[in-house]
Amino acid sequence: MFAFVKKPQSAALAFLIAGAVWFVVGALYGMVSAIHLVAPEFFSNIPFLVFGRERPIHVNTMLYGFTGTMLTGCGLYYLPALLRTRLYSEPLGWLSFLFWNLTVASGPLGFSFAYTQGREYNEYIWIADISLMLAVVLLIYNLVMTIVQRTEQQLYVSVWYFVAAFLWTAGNYPISNVVWHPSTGAMPGLIDSIFLWFWGHNLPGLLITPLATGAAYFVIPRITRTPLNSHTLSLAGFWFLVALYTHIGGHHVLQSPIPNWLKTVSVVDSIAMVVPVSIVVLNLWLTARQEGQRVWGDPAGRLVMGGIVWYLITCIQGPLQSLPYLQRVTHFNNWTVGHAHIAMLGFGGYIALGAMWHILPLVSGREIYSQRLVNLQFGLITFGLTAFFLVLTTAGLIQGSAWHNGETVYRVLPEIAPFMISRAASGIFILGGSLIGLYNLYLTLRQGRELQPVELLRAEEAS
Amino acid sequence: MKMTPALLIVGALLVFWASAFIIVGIPSLTMKETPSEIWRPLTAEEEAGHRLYVRNGCSYCHSLYIRINDWDIGAERIAKSGDYVGQEPAILGSERTGPDLSQEGGEHPDDWHLAHFVNPRFTSPISLMPSWEFLGPVEIRQLTAYVQALGLKAADARVARQRYWKTPAAAAYASGLDANVEWLHSQVPEVWRRMPNPYPASEASLQRGKRIYQEFCINCHGPVGDGKGPAFRYMNPPPLNFTTLRRHLVENRYIGGIFYYQIMNGITGTGMPYFKKHLESEKIWDLANYLGVSFVGYTDANIDPRGIDASYEEPWQNRYPQPGQEGAGTGK
Repeated sequence: MFAFVKKPQSAALAFLIAGAVWFVVGALYGMVSAIHLVAPEFFSNIPFLVFGRERPIHVNTMLYGFTGTMLTGCGLYYLPALLRTRLYSEPLGWLSFLFWNLTVASGPLGFSFAYTQGREYNEYIWIADISLMLAVVLLIYNLVMTIVQRTEQQLYVSVWYFVAAFLWTAGNYPISNVVWHPSTGAMPGLIDSIFLWFWGHNLPGLLITPLATGAAYFVIPRITRTPLNSHTLSLAGFWFLVALYTHIGGHHVLQSPIPNWLKTVSVVDSIAMVVPVSIVVLNLWLTARQEGQRVWGDPAGRLVMGGIVWYLITCIQGPLQSLPYLQRVTHFNNWTVGHAHIAMLGFGGYIALGAMWHILPLVSGREIYSQRLVNLQFGLITFGLTAFFLVLTTAGLIQGSAWHNGETVYRVLPEIAPFMISRAASGIFILGGSLIGLYNLYLTLRQGRELQPVELLRAEEAS
Repeated sequence: MKMTPALLIVGALLVFWASAFIIVGIPSLTMKETPSEIWRPLTAEEEAGHRLYVRNGCSYCHSLYIRINDWDIGAERIAKSGDYVGQEPAILGSERTGPDLSQEGGEHPDDWHLAHFVNPRFTSPISLMPSWEFLGPVEIRQLTAYVQALGLKAADARVARQRYWKTPAAAAYASGLDANVEWLHSQVPEVWRRMPNPYPASEASLQRGKRIYQEFCINCHGPVGDGKGPAFRYMNPPPLNFTTLRRHLVENRYIGGIFYYQIMNGITGTGMPYFKKHLESEKIWDLANYLGVSFVGYTDANIDPRGIDASYEEPWQNRYPQPGQEGAGTGK
């Protein structure tokens, strides 16, 4: 009955499919949230569709469910492929899949009925935290054992990022979720904000970033058919990332009464983040130099390259908005929401989708059903997200400047109303993109042309 | 440098844990939980409300700390680390779709909160907050208890003031329409009571006043100013019916200064909040003119005593007749 769990690459495929499904779920919750910010009486008084409960479902489903799951699926393929071996254990991979997705499902199933710890990015209840930790620990074991049985001596940069993402999460997640306080998942007093934002920032930084970077390092050289530009740059980017990123969570509570030295560290290291980000972006762009046509001509490559562009934009904006003087205007308003979306959907999501479309034929043995639908997805999401980003950034500047100038939050609501409407409208494009992706994925698995073993081998060896 | 499995695993963990020690370990060892001067523990009911606040995601729209550059509600007190002692979690928030709530306790009386939780638009017509009616009366009471405790001892002082003034305000309402208005007017300082509205009730100013009325006042005082908006049935005393004011003008002439004072400062103890943080001087005078013209049929705009007209003002003659003098001076 459970023979499918032993099929090679089945766990990777399962993660990819789950990611595409969670993308649709997350986008639906995002859509309803966006409508509620335009029309709060829409679906009024329905407990499981109240803004305070649907927003964390949207956020967590997108982070852990869509981006995290899909990128993990990619890694479960490319890590063994780069090491010229098979995943150590497919059944263990499936077990990770089970625990991981149980946690993600506890979002829509739990938050809807107020089963949440209520701390941003740390909302999952204790038992779901444990489930996620089990998934992570099993993944680490599986990956390390895969490395042990490798036939390729060299560890390619994607391997470092993929393994390290889980090594770091295994430390990050339980600390920040304060798992030793099961009922609240929090520390008493102000120090909780430091614990909270340790993961609140490391979730994008030390889970999604390494996963997405690893995937981009895998996909780009394969599409351009060029060797990686520089091994040294990869090394520098990797070590700078973990050395700097871990310090910067404090910039989320920069204007609160946390100790000044922590604020200083978080601001300085936030600015320093420009270094590892530029290194990664440059390394990938230099790898692709002279081969832009190939990247642009490949729908999956286009998505990954788009993600790298969003990464650069995010990580120029991020350090700037950690500056205390600027943050007086940009904090607490939609500016930050815009930033979060280009980070998670722009950077993480684009690369997840691109790598998924690139890897899907390799794990399913079927050609993508429609490359034009991948292009359509790229177009819809790019239009939606660009509009979203511009609209929210503008709305945020209006709010922040008005507040800074002495207007009350309530007084500024009419000023942001047109922006909330535009944001909901651009959300339709993103939701559309997610639905088309799922449709294309389904048809690929059902109707995609089966690749001949020779073609598959050629595709696998293309690196 | 060659990346071996050992270097990868040991190195990645080493750098991570060293950083984690700096960012989380050192604060854990050094940060002191010293209560600030406003700190007190939460009661059991407030604690229950705090759980509801956390579990229902109130923190996604409301922050719980005031910064040095804030002007809105609570801006009198910049947050201190000792304000959060023992709260688990002290959920600071990252977004302000609604106002900061760290000093919300006692800003409004309990009945205002009931109306507001049932439907936020009952008290704040353009609010984006969802209705929480589904929580039911028990949980709404707990949530109210928590919100009224925000600001701790400072909140207690404000709540006590609300309670203190609730009694005479409710008694005044119970004593009849006219006595209620007399009591309300007697709470306005003498100098304000004989102050006419210094702004002309021009067409444009009335339009502005109308918009402000619709964004702030309409769901308590009602579209026709009779105090029967949807919040009416939650409030004790209920919102004022403006249409009875015609027989209560001071010296049969003045009402602008009373309007201004009560809009500006609110009537603590009742559901009437102060609006001086939201509305600057001209907006309040415009609103006062709108209330007078629309619901009293009279405004004292620009009557004596008055000074030199402001430079932008066009010649404007107040043609609204005083009560009892309708028709006088028009030749009819």
